[in-house]
Amino acid sequence: MRRRSTFLHDPKLEVDPRQLYLSGDRFVIENLRAAREERLTVGLDELPEELCQVLRQSHELHIRWASEDIYDAIPPFVSKISPGLHVFYTPLQRQSGDLLCPLLHKVFSSTLKCRSPLSTFTTPHLRSGRFASTSSLQYHSLLPSLNSLTQYIQRYLCKHSDQQCLHSAPLLNVADTVDIDYDSISHILIFTAHWSRPPAVLYDPLTGRTAENGWSLSVDTSANAEKVEVGVLGNEPPTDPSEISLSGFLTVVGEDDHPKPTLFSFPSRHHALPPSQSQDQRYKVSFLQPTGLHPKMQISFPTASALKPPANKPADSACALHTYLTLPSALFADKYQLSATADTAFMQSHHLTALRAISGETDLEAPDYVVEKWGSNLLVELAVPPPSSSSRKLARSTPPNQVPDSSSRGWNVTIPLHLRYFPPSPTGYSTIDIPNPILFWACTAEEGTKFPVNPFDRVNLGYEGLFGGRTMFYHLDPAPGPDLGAAGRGEEGSGRGKLVQRIRVPVLNMEAWGAEWVEWGTVAVVMLGFLWVVCKLWASGLSVRGEAGPKGVGGRPVEADAREEEEEEEEHEREKKKKK
Amino acid sequence: MDFLSLLAPPKVTRSLLTSPSSLFSAALSLRIVLLLYGLYQDAHGPLKYTDIDYGVFTDAARYISYGHSPYLRDTYRYTPLLAWILLPTTWEPQHIWFSFGKALFAISDILAGWMIFVVLQKRGTSQMRALKYSGIWLLNPMVATISTRGSSEGLLCVMVMALLWATEMRHIALSGVLLGLAVHFKIYPFIYGVSILWSLEPPAPNPSRPAVKEETHTSIFSKLSTFLNQDRLVFIFTSLATFSALNISMFALYGTPFMQHTYLHHLTRIDHRHNFSPYNILLYLSSANIVTTAHLSSLRFESLAFIPQLVLSTLLIPVSISNSSLPRAMLAQTFAFVTFNKVCTSQYFLWYLIFLPIYLPDSVLIRNPTLGFSVLGAWVAGQTVWLWQGYKLEMLGESSFVPGLWSSSLLFFAVNCWILGIVISDHGPGGHGLGPAPEKGHHKVDTIYPREKTLKEEGVRGVEDDSDEESDVEEIPREQTVEEMVREEMKRRRQYARTGVDSTASDRQQTDVLLGEYMDDIQSLISPDE
Repeated sequence: MRRRSTFLHDPKLEVDPRQLYLSGDRFVIENLRAAREERLTVGLDELPEELCQVLRQSHELHIRWASEDIYDAIPPFVSKISPGLHVFYTPLQRQSGDLLCPLLHKVFSSTLKCRSPLSTFTTPHLRSGRFASTSSLQYHSLLPSLNSLTQYIQRYLCKHSDQQCLHSAPLLNVADTVDIDYDSISHILIFTAHWSRPPAVLYDPLTGRTAENGWSLSVDTSANAEKVEVGVLGNEPPTDPSEISLSGFLTVVGEDDHPKPTLFSFPSRHHALPPSQSQDQRYKVSFLQPTGLHPKMQISFPTASALKPPANKPADSACALHTYLTLPSALFADKYQLSATADTAFMQSHHLTALRAISGETDLEAPDYVVEKWGSNLLVELAVPPPSSSSRKLARSTPPNQVPDSSSRGWNVTIPLHLRYFPPSPTGYSTIDIPNPILFWACTAEEGTKFPVNPFDRVNLGYEGLFGGRTMFYHLDPAPGPDLGAAGRGEEGSGRGKLVQRIRVPVLNMEAWGAEWVEWGTVAVVMLGFLWVVCKLWASGLSVRGEAGPKGVGGRPVEADAREEEEEEEEHEREKKKKK
Repeated sequence: MDFLSLLAPPKVTRSLLTSPSSLFSAALSLRIVLLLYGLYQDAHGPLKYTDIDYGVFTDAARYISYGHSPYLRDTYRYTPLLAWILLPTTWEPQHIWFSFGKALFAISDILAGWMIFVVLQKRGTSQMRALKYSGIWLLNPMVATISTRGSSEGLLCVMVMALLWATEMRHIALSGVLLGLAVHFKIYPFIYGVSILWSLEPPAPNPSRPAVKEETHTSIFSKLSTFLNQDRLVFIFTSLATFSALNISMFALYGTPFMQHTYLHHLTRIDHRHNFSPYNILLYLSSANIVTTAHLSSLRFESLAFIPQLVLSTLLIPVSISNSSLPRAMLAQTFAFVTFNKVCTSQYFLWYLIFLPIYLPDSVLIRNPTLGFSVLGAWVAGQTVWLWQGYKLEMLGESSFVPGLWSSSLLFFAVNCWILGIVISDHGPGGHGLGPAPEKGHHKVDTIYPREKTLKEEGVRGVEDDSDEESDVEEIPREQTVEEMVREEMKRRRQYARTGVDSTASDRQQTDVLLGEYMDDIQSLISPDE
């Protein structure tokens, strides 16, 4: 096992060298306010058999998890995904992989909607075949907490004697993202966890110290680790706009005798917007009320005029604003409704440019209870306000529900979606939670840019495979909003808002008046109607028979003939009997 | 709406209805205007005028133009023929050719209107009246809107109307081909096969059998051979041949997806989404597997829904009505099929509305305007109640499934059954119990007519149940003339038996109609030796 710990502190905060020191085989950090990334590289032989079985069936397995809480991102940890559990999976053979769902149930949550990769997972839609590293199957589920993973690690992965492992695992409960990567070429599993800030209270069992709002811990090599690296870094202004520069201290624990100062740069796939722009382009996600059966997801920006391509992009780079939606099966987008060529006026009225990709369960007719797939993904290019600040034009293109105030006019984008039918419930309503989409400017990068040299590069996020290999993503930040968690889930929220929307779905009310009579009532009414019509037919048939009588063979109703025949036969029989 | 334009045509409409050329140019202009408006609306408004299904057809046509299967387009559930017909919609320049299909559907509409006009005249309606009634279809904004929005129902309507036209004109082979084609396009027209078959009586009836049974031994085979006259055989052969030829060739071209999407899909679909059908909520419940054992889970009534539907539309209605009036039988069949169907959306209403202009002129709905307006009002009201519940569910997100949608769909179903009953009992002017209110007068029928009681009941059981005073009066003219008619008929028959020359056939038919079931009694009056 190898371990890499990275602490990214705010560039404004100078790190006091006394906060970091080596004491023998132990690297000590005291009260460091920083984002943290912990990366463990593990060989198959170090893992329990049930994990190995699944991994041996896999060609590639990438698991991504993101918290539902809003967090501040600091380069290079700025890439975003919708909250919840994402799985990107390529089995070695098409039929293999049946062990994956049981394992996901055991590790993450027993309530995941996951039957087997073939039936539940979706196949990503690739617009460009250029980016071949994308997995063949994709899965998502909301997962508010990693409690189950923490327990799994403590029970099956930590040695009973390993106090550090047992004590560190619960830190995952406050992590912002967790990545797990495996591929059959390297045969190693990489586990990455990221915290955007230190937890409110942290206890280090090795030193016995408690820290508040700061990382205070010691890293040592004792616990079966081959190599342990610690970096304490801060951002430097990059010389090349497509790059990220970091400076600080790198230490290989057990080898180095003091933290070594360093400065290095690398091209980065994911970027943040400059602080001022980031503030102006914060977006809010909501659903227009009433949602009905065709909810419209609204993405709103505070100021239309600020919605401009990133200021820190390379000079000759072209950019477009995109949103990537991860929708549970309860909700879907009609790809035909959103296809740009067919209807530009419709798309413009929603401030959409085009549907760039859609994959997953897009059946327009099936109810949720027969859909096996987890849901769908779509990548939509958004329209931005016209560059000329001609206010008249703007006013016309602003939806009528907005007040056209020239100074602080907002910009609203709506994505028309549709609900599936849900099973009946005793209240007449079901609720569904929908993860917020992520937004980014996708910008072209120069030829020859090699993102993989970035030690913090992050791929297999679902959307980057839909673009060419040399695309940079400038991520927008969500605006803090009302906290759904407190009201909805009955949990303590972070106070900054959740990245999940909850909507109400009308279903058949099992307790409503008449609900228990639906079956009998329908049958009775249909039978009555049927009998009524038959009576009418019989009544009119009587008169028709009367009319038809003298017309001869053709006009005679069959029944009359049949009756005559019967009578004749009876007569014959009587005669026969008499003769006997 | 149709009745309204008919019963009180506005002045403009009335002036349009003076000559065929003015009516048809009005119909054409209406469609051109709507087509152009649609183009404008599509280009400039956020709400599209063009029907969603038109996108499905044209996408499928595009797939065909690339040499692919039209079934690559999701929700394309039609015959490949439709996509083939619409191939011109893929031609350049798109802004002209894309509307080809809408124009085609609109022209089909007008063609259907022309055939209504022809059939009406064939049935003895005067040109002025025929113009007026075909105007119901030709100038109907609902019909024109549906076809110019690009719904393929117009194409189907012209096929069905052509089927009726060909049958009425006695182009038997053609009507067989048309039936095969229509069933290939959309399954439901197969119900017309039964009624057309039943209506194909020999044009001149065989010399009527003497009142006493002559043929004592009638084998099933000989009855079958009597039934299977040449017309019927031609009709059966041509329709089956067309249907099979189309299906075999389409299957050869597109294989299983063709069978799956055009036909088999209808066997497996769930139909849980709200629609006008009375079965709708039941289907939603059972599809969600919520019908617990406490209810009737094992019975699965909804899987038997086809029984009342098919018994009525393919057996009882054609057998009892198509002899007296084929258009009325086809209207009643379609009405029953749509009313008892497991799915019912408003486009299905078009299937029976096409027959309305032909049925209406002689119908009780016109002879008795109060009844006509009640039927129209109930039909519209039934839909309105349902639509309001649907709006609450779909737009406001309220859980209006039960009791709202459920009870309103059952109400609409009841209204439809009532209307169906009226159509079934409507024997046209001179028919029993449904004729125009005759002059006042009340006489007792002589006791020699033992059916008197039954007749009276029938008069009451007729459509005008709600107006008892009228129904009492209706039998009167019959009673007054019945004795005379019987005598005349007897005289005529004796004469016919002697000379072999029938008195004017039309006269006879009329007496038959007027006498109705009295004829049974007449037969018993004529003694065999006379």
